[in-house]
Amino acid sequence: MPFSLLDFMQALAAGIMVGGAYALMCIGLGIIFGAMRVVNFAQGDFMMLGMYVAFYLTTGFGVLAFLGPYAGPIVGAFLAGPAVFAIGWVLHRFLVSRVTGTGVTQAEGAGGYAQILVTLGLALIFQNGGLILFGSAPTGIRTPLSRASFEIGSVLLNEAKAVSFVVAVVLVAAVYLFLTHTRHGKGLRAAADNSTAAIYMGIDVDRAHRIAWSLGVGITAVAGGLLASTQSFQPYVGFDFVIVMYAGVVLGGLGSILGAFWGGLLIGIVQQLSTLVLPYQLQNTAIFVVFLLIVFLRPQGLFGRLSERT
Amino acid sequence: MKTALVAALGTAISTVALGLVPALAQTPAQPAKDVKVALIAPLSGPWARQGQLMQMGADMAIDEINQKGGIKALGGAKMKLVVADAGDTTEKAKNAAERLLSQEPDLIGGTGAWLSSFTLAVTEVTERAQLPWLTLSYSDAITDRGFKYVFQTSPTADHMAREMIPTVIKLAESAGAKRPQTMGIVMDNTAANVSYVKPMHEGWLDQYGLKLVVDQVYTPPLSDATPLIQKVRSARPDFLLLLSSNVPDDKMLLEKLDEFGLGTRKLPTIGSGTHMGTPELLKVTDAEMLEGLLTGASDWGLKGQEDIIARFRQRTGEPWINQDSITAYGDMWILKEAVERVGAADRVKIGDELHKIDITEGPAAVAYPGPVKFDDKGRRVDAPLIIVQWQKGQAVSVFPTDRALAKAFWPAQ
Amino acid sequence: MRLNPGTTATARHLWAIVGLCVVVLAAAFAIRSEYDEGVLVLVLLWATLSVAWNLLSGYSGLFSFGHAAFWGLGAYTVALGLVNFGLTPWLGIPLAAVVGGCAGALIGYPTFRLRGHYFALAMLAYPLAMLYVFEWLGYQEVPLPMERTAPILYMQFDDKRAYVVLALALLVAALLVSLWVETTRFGRALMAIKQNEPAAEAAGIDTWRWKMRAIVLSGALAAMAGGLYAVVLLVVTPDSVFGMLVSSQPLILSLFGGIGSLWGPVIGATVLVPLAEVLNAQLGDKIPGIQGVVYGVAIIAIILWAPEGVYWRVREKVTRSGLAGSEPRPRSAPVMALPQPRSGQGDLLVLRGVGISFGGLRALDDVGLSVQDGSLHGIIGPNGAGKTTLFNVINGFLRPQSGSIAFAGTSLLGLMPNRVCRCGIGRTFQVVRAFARMTVVENVIVGAYIGARDDRVAEQMALAALDRVGIADRADSMAGGLTTRELRLMELARALVPQPRLLLLDETLAGLGHEDLDSILSVIRRLRDEGMTVLIIEHTMQAMVRLVDRFTVLDHGRVIASGAPAEVVRDRRVIEAYLGRRWTDRVSETAAGDI
Repeated sequence: MPFSLLDFMQALAAGIMVGGAYALMCIGLGIIFGAMRVVNFAQGDFMMLGMYVAFYLTTGFGVLAFLGPYAGPIVGAFLAGPAVFAIGWVLHRFLVSRVTGTGVTQAEGAGGYAQILVTLGLALIFQNGGLILFGSAPTGIRTPLSRASFEIGSVLLNEAKAVSFVVAVVLVAAVYLFLTHTRHGKGLRAAADNSTAAIYMGIDVDRAHRIAWSLGVGITAVAGGLLASTQSFQPYVGFDFVIVMYAGVVLGGLGSILGAFWGGLLIGIVQQLSTLVLPYQLQNTAIFVVFLLIVFLRPQGLFGRLSERT
Repeated sequence: MKTALVAALGTAISTVALGLVPALAQTPAQPAKDVKVALIAPLSGPWARQGQLMQMGADMAIDEINQKGGIKALGGAKMKLVVADAGDTTEKAKNAAERLLSQEPDLIGGTGAWLSSFTLAVTEVTERAQLPWLTLSYSDAITDRGFKYVFQTSPTADHMAREMIPTVIKLAESAGAKRPQTMGIVMDNTAANVSYVKPMHEGWLDQYGLKLVVDQVYTPPLSDATPLIQKVRSARPDFLLLLSSNVPDDKMLLEKLDEFGLGTRKLPTIGSGTHMGTPELLKVTDAEMLEGLLTGASDWGLKGQEDIIARFRQRTGEPWINQDSITAYGDMWILKEAVERVGAADRVKIGDELHKIDITEGPAAVAYPGPVKFDDKGRRVDAPLIIVQWQKGQAVSVFPTDRALAKAFWPAQ
Repeated sequence: MRLNPGTTATARHLWAIVGLCVVVLAAAFAIRSEYDEGVLVLVLLWATLSVAWNLLSGYSGLFSFGHAAFWGLGAYTVALGLVNFGLTPWLGIPLAAVVGGCAGALIGYPTFRLRGHYFALAMLAYPLAMLYVFEWLGYQEVPLPMERTAPILYMQFDDKRAYVVLALALLVAALLVSLWVETTRFGRALMAIKQNEPAAEAAGIDTWRWKMRAIVLSGALAAMAGGLYAVVLLVVTPDSVFGMLVSSQPLILSLFGGIGSLWGPVIGATVLVPLAEVLNAQLGDKIPGIQGVVYGVAIIAIILWAPEGVYWRVREKVTRSGLAGSEPRPRSAPVMALPQPRSGQGDLLVLRGVGISFGGLRALDDVGLSVQDGSLHGIIGPNGAGKTTLFNVINGFLRPQSGSIAFAGTSLLGLMPNRVCRCGIGRTFQVVRAFARMTVVENVIVGAYIGARDDRVAEQMALAALDRVGIADRADSMAGGLTTRELRLMELARALVPQPRLLLLDETLAGLGHEDLDSILSVIRRLRDEGMTVLIIEHTMQAMVRLVDRFTVLDHGRVIASGAPAEVVRDRRVIEAYLGRRWTDRVSETAAGDI
C-alpha cells in the first residue's frame, strides 16, 4: 500500500468534514428535487448568495462583529438561511411556480422544459448580478478557526470544518424533525410522494412546493454560509458545486431527504479517499465514476424508492 | 518626480532624434488623429478581477501619455484605449478580438488576454490581422507558433523555475540556514504550472543536489487540501513549491499548511504567479500567516517606479501595484515608444519595430525589469524573474536586488 | 412534430432548407466584417449541435445534459489529429463523426437503462468526467498550428466565408438527418418513447434499438460540429469544449426555439447566439456582468411566454387564427378483416409457479394462472397484492425468478416486451399519456409498426382499431379535447392496433362514473365476443362481477382463490382479504337477478 494508516485516517477525516458540507447542500437540493421533481440549475448560486449574506453580516457590514470571530461566522451562516429562504419564497411565488408544480400540464412528456430554462436563467442572473453587486475579487470570512485544528491521535481535524460539520448535523436533525413531526413537513413529504393524492387529501400542494423550494434553497444557503469561513469565493463559485450536489442526491436516492444527507457525506468521503489511490487530479472523476456506478447498479440510490409510477 | 521628468525628457529628445531620421524621409507628421490601442482581458466571469487590474494599469498609462502631450511624432496625437471583455470562455475571448479588429480598423497594437488559453485564441486573430500584441502570459506555447506579431513580455514559466530554485537556495544559505536538500511540489495542472515544473521532472534538480520528496498535482478548484498537505507533512521537505493559480485555492492550501504546523516559518513556501501576492489574499487570510511567503512573477512594483506606484495607489485605492497592472501600464508605453520611433500609426511597421526595439529609458523601461527587447520568436530577451515576498502585510519585490524595493529574508526560523 | 406529414410537408421542409442556404450564403457575401462572419459561423455551429441534441432529446424526451461529451471529443479528435499526426481536418472531421458515433453507442449502452431524471443526470457526468481526464492527460491547451505552406489542405482559410460554407454544410446535413428521422417511423418510434416508453415497448417497438440509433446519430453530428469548432477557434481547452456551458447551450437554444421540432434549434441559435454576442459587445465593458443578467432575463421572459419554444407558440397562434389549415382528410371505411371468433379451446396463457422478489419483498409467490382462450378473466386483490407486477411479468418488463409463462404453447420468459407484443399480447396502462396536440389516430398509430409495412396500412390499422372501440368518428379530433371515457377507449384502441390475441387491461375502468363504466364495459364485452381473450385488473367490484368469466384473486403476491365470480366472492379467504360482507350479499342478489 502506497499510503499509511495515518494518511488514510487523515483523508477519511477530511472526507467526513467536507462531506458534512456537501450533505447539507444536498439536503437542500434533495428537498426541492424530491418534492417538486425540479432540476434546479441555480442551486449552486443560491449557495453563493448564502456565502455572501454570511460574509456581509459578519465581515462586510460587521453587523455581527460584536459576537466575535468565533460565534460571528456561525450565526452569520445561520442567518443566511432565512434571508435566502425569503428570496426563494418571492422567486417561487412570482416565477418558479409558473413553470412547476401541479398547474403545469404533464402532457406529451413535457412539463420539465420551461423549468430547466427558468433555473438556468436564474443561474445566469445570480452569477452575473453577483459580479455587479459584490465585485470580482475573491473574498471570505476570516476566522482563526480555519487554521486551527483539534488533534486526535496524529489526525488533525480542522476546527472550522469540524464546527461546520456539527452545525450541519444539527441542522439536518432539525430538518428531519420538521419533515416527520410537523404538519407542514408531512404535507411536504406527501406532496413529494404523490401530488395528486396529496391534493385529494386536502394538502395545499402549491404551498407545500413553495415551502419545499424556499426551504431547499435556504438550507443550501446555510451550507454556503458555513463554507464561507473555510474557503474564499467569488460570484461564479456555484457552478463548481452543482455536480457534487446532484451526485450526492442521486446517490442517496431521489426523494429521500435523509438519503441526500448520506449521499453528500459519501461523495465527500469518496472524493478525499480517492486521492489515496488515484492521481489527485482525478478526484472529481472518481466522484463521477461512483455516481455512474450507483446510477447503473442501484438507480434508486441508497434510500430511494424502487419504482416511480408508470 | 525629478527622475521621471528627466527620464521623460530624455525619452522625448531621443525619440525625436531617432524619429527625425525616418521622418525626414517621410511625409510630414499626420494630423493629430487618435492612436488606438487595445486591451482584451476578462472583465466578467471568474477572472474579472485580473482584467480590472490590467485595465487600471493601462488607463493610467494612457492618461499619462496624453497629459504629457501624446505622440510627438504624430503631432501630439492622443492615445486611446479600446477595451473588450474576454469573458469566461475561449470563444468569447476570440469574439472580442474579432470584434475589436472589425470595429477598430486603425488599431496599432494591444495587450491581453491574461489567461493563456485566451491569449492563444486572441493572438490567432491578431496575428492574422498583423496586429502587434503584447502579453504577460507565461505559457511557452504562445511564442512557439512561429508568429511574427506576438510579443511575450514575461519570462517563460520554465525559465522562471530555472531562476527561482538557485535564488531560493542562495537565499537560504545567505541567511545562515542549512542548504536545502529536499523539495516538495504541490501544484495544479494549469498549463503555466505544468511548464514550470517540466525541467524539474527531467533531472534538472540534480545539479543543485535537490531531491523531490513529494510531488502532487491537483485539478483546480480544490475541494479540500487535507490529503495533499498530509503528504507534505509525511515527507517533510526543506522547502515547498506551491503552484496554484487562484486566490481561493491559495487560501485553502496556505491555511492547511498552517494548520498542520507547516506554515511558511517552518516550511518555506514558494509560489508562482501574481495571485499569491494580491491584496485579496491578505483580506482572506492574514499578514502573520503570509509573512515570508515568496512568489515569482514577471513584474511588480520595483525600484525606480516609486512615483508610478504612488500615482497608482492614489488613483485606484489599491494598496500596491502588482504584475497585471504594471505590465499593462508598461505595454502602453512600449507601444507608444514604438509609434514614436516608426512615426506612423502603421501596425505592420510597428510590429517590425518591436522586433528591433531596445528601450532603455523612460516609463516603459522603468515599468519593466531587464531589457525591453524582443528576440525573433517574440520573447523578451533576458526577462528576469521577479521574486516577491510578503513582509508585514505587504507584497514587495525582493529580487533582482538591483530593482527590488525590499530585502528578502529566509522565513524559516 | 407532425406524424406522417405526407410528402407536401416534407417538401415544404426541404424548400425551407434550401431557403436557409440561400439566406445564409447571401448574408455571408453581404457581410463585410470578419467579426460578423465569425458570429455567423458560430450561429451555424451551435445550431448544428442543437439540431443534433434535438434528434435525441427533443424527439425522444430523453434529456441529455451531456452533449458536450460528443462536441468535446470531436474537437479533440480534430485538434490532436492535427497536432500529433498531421491529420488534416478534412479527414479529421469525418473521423470525429466516427468517434462521436462510437461514443454515443458506448454512452448509450449503459445509460439507456435509466429513465427520466436519472438519465439526464447521468449524462451530465460524462463530459465533466472527460474534462478532468483531458486535463490530467496534459491537454489543457491545444493550439492548432498555423499551416503556412498549404493552408487550404488543412482547412485554414483566410476568407471566413469558407467557414460559413462548411458550417452551413454541417447544419444542412444535420437538418436532413433530422428530417429523415421525423418523417419515417424512426421519428414515430422516438415520439412513442417520449409519450410513454413502457407503452411503446409493449406495443412492439424495440425501444432500446431506436434509442441507440438516435444517440449514435446525434453523437456523430455533434462531434463533427465540435471538430469544425476546433478549426474555427484554433485553441482547444477542456473547459471550452467539455464544460457545463457547452452542455447547456443546445438545451437553451432548442428549448427556446421549439423543442422537438425541426426548426426550433435553428430559430434558437439564430436569435440567442447573436443576442449574447451583441450583449457582450455593447454592455460587456460598461458594466461587466450586465450582459449575463440581461440574457438570463430574456431567456426567462421568452420561456414564460412560450413554454415549449417559440416555434410551437407561433404555430399555435397561427393555427388558431385559422391561417394554417389542417384539412381533415376524407376517411374511407376501414377494410381490415377482423380476427375470426375462436372456438374457445384450451388455455391461451398459462402461468405456473411464478415468483419474483424485490430486495426483501416477495412481490409474487408461486402464482399460477390459466386464462382460457376467448374468455374474460379478471385479476382482483387488495392494493399492493401484486396485480400490476403480474402484468409486468407477463409483458416482459420484469423477469420472474421462478416459474414459467406459456402463451399459446410458447414460453414468454426472457423476452423483451416488444417481442412479447409481437407474439400477440397487447396491454393498456393505468396512466394514459396522450399527445394533446395531435389527433387521435396519430396517438394510436404507434401500435401499427410491427405489422404494417407502410404508413397507409398503419393508418388503416389504426382506424380499424378506433372503429372497434367505437370512437372512429373522433379519429381526426385533437386528443386534448377528449373526454375521460374517450381517452380510455383511445388507450384501448392503441393496444388493439397490432391485433393481439390476448389483451391485458390495467385498471381501464378506474375512476369512471356509472354511464362511462357501462359504455366501456360493453366495448370490452364486444371484444370478447369477437374472440379476444382479455385479462383485466380492476377494483370496481360490481362491474367485474358482471363482466368476467373467471376470477383470480391475489393477496400479498399469492393466489388465494380462483374460479367463477359467484364462487370467488363467497370464498371466505377472499372476503377476509378484500371484500366486505356487503358485496357478498349484493352479488347473490345480482346473480339471482341475472338468471
